[in-house]
Amino acid sequence: MSTLRSREARAGPPEEGRLYVGNLDAAARRARELLLGKMKLGKLVDWGTAFSLWPVHFTTSCCGCEFAATWSPRFDAERYGALPWLSPRQTNLIVIEGTVTKKMGCALRLVWEQMPHPKFAIAMGACALDGGIFYNSYNIVRPWEVVPVDVFIPGCPPRPEALARAIVELQRLIREKGVASKWIEEGEREDKPAPIPKEDLCSWWRG
Amino acid sequence: MSLDAVRSRAEEALRGVYTGVEEGKGFVAFRVPAERVVEAAEALKSAGFDHVKSVTAVDRPKEGVIEVTYHVSSYSDPELARGIVGITVSLPRDNPRMPSLSRIWVSAEFQEREVFEFFGVVFEGHPDLRPILLIPPLAEKHPLRKDFIVKEEQVYKGGITKLEQPP
Ligand code: SF4
Repeated sequence: MSTLRSREARAGPPEEGRLYVGNLDAAARRARELLLGKMKLGKLVDWGTAFSLWPVHFTTSCCGCEFAATWSPRFDAERYGALPWLSPRQTNLIVIEGTVTKKMGCALRLVWEQMPHPKFAIAMGACALDGGIFYNSYNIVRPWEVVPVDVFIPGCPPRPEALARAIVELQRLIREKGVASKWIEEGEREDKPAPIPKEDLCSWWRG
Repeated sequence: MSLDAVRSRAEEALRGVYTGVEEGKGFVAFRVPAERVVEAAEALKSAGFDHVKSVTAVDRPKEGVIEVTYHVSSYSDPELARGIVGITVSLPRDNPRMPSLSRIWVSAEFQEREVFEFFGVVFEGHPDLRPILLIPPLAEKHPLRKDFIVKEEQVYKGGITKLEQPP
C-alpha cells in the first residue's frame, strides 16, 4: 500500500488535455468536455467508435493464426479497444483473413450484411489483396469485389504487428475523416459503396 | 510383410472379379470392370474393409478414360488396417457413369460428390449428388479435367524486358 501511494505521489497530478486510461478523474474531465463543451456530437461518435472496433470471428485461411496471435497476451491488441466477438450482429469490423473461395464469398457478404453500421473491413494477407499464391485459381474471389475494404495489409502472412498497425490506422481514419458519424448522419457511406459481385456467388444456396 | 496379408485377404474376396493388380508402397490396387464394381465392393466389405479413405480420379484424355479409384481400409480389423486397398474403375471420358458405392460405404458419400464436381463422373444411385466445394456454374466446367485451362505462371527468361508502350 505504501509503495503504491508513494508512486502516485511521484507521478504528480494528471497532465491536462491527455487521456489516461485507468485515471478516472482525467477520463471524466475529458468526457465532460466532449459532452458539455462546444464539440459536435459526431466527434464523440467517432471517438467512441474508434475505441470499440470489435472484429467478428471470420477465419477463412491460414492468416487466421496471425489474427489469433494478435489478440494473444504477447501482442495484446485489446489495448487498442478491439476485441474479437462471436456474433456478427454485435460487431462493427470484419477482418478478412486470407483466401476467400467463391462459396465463402457468399458467406462473407452475408456476414457483412448482418453487421450494424457503421462497419469497417480490413483485408489481411496477399490472398485478400490479389489472390496471393492462388492468383490463378478458378475458385477464389478478391474480397474487395464482395465487400468495401478500408485497410489492406500486405504480407504472407502479415505479422501480428501489421494487423495491430492496421487497427490503429483504421482508428486514425475514423477519427480524422469522421467516417462513423457521417455514416450515421447520411445513412450510407458515399466514398465506399457496397460492390455488387460479378458472379452469382450464392447460387449454391438454392441447391 | 504386413501388406501381403492384406493383399491375400483382398485377393480372396475379389477372386474372379478383378482384371488386374497394381502395387505400390503400402498400397495395392485392383482393377475392376465398371459393371461389377458393386459386387466387388460388397465382397470387400464383408471381408472386413469397413470404410473408404478417399475417392479420387485421374483424367487420361489420350486414352479417353477417367479412372476412379476408391481407397478402402479397416478400423475394426487391426491386421487389415496396415495396408490400403484400392479398387480402380475405368470409365469412358465422354459419358462417365458408374454405380455409387455410398450405400455400401457411407464415408464415400461426400467424396463422390467431390469427384462428381471436379471430374463430372455421375454416380448412379447416390442419395444427394450436388456440388460440394464449388459453386454450380463452376462445377459444370469440371476444373480438374485436363482440358480445363488455368492462367499459367510466367517464367522469367533473363535479360531486361522492355515494357511495351501503349500506342
Ligand atoms: S496471405 Fe499467405 S498466410 Fe495469408 S491466407 Fe494467403 S497464403 Fe495463407
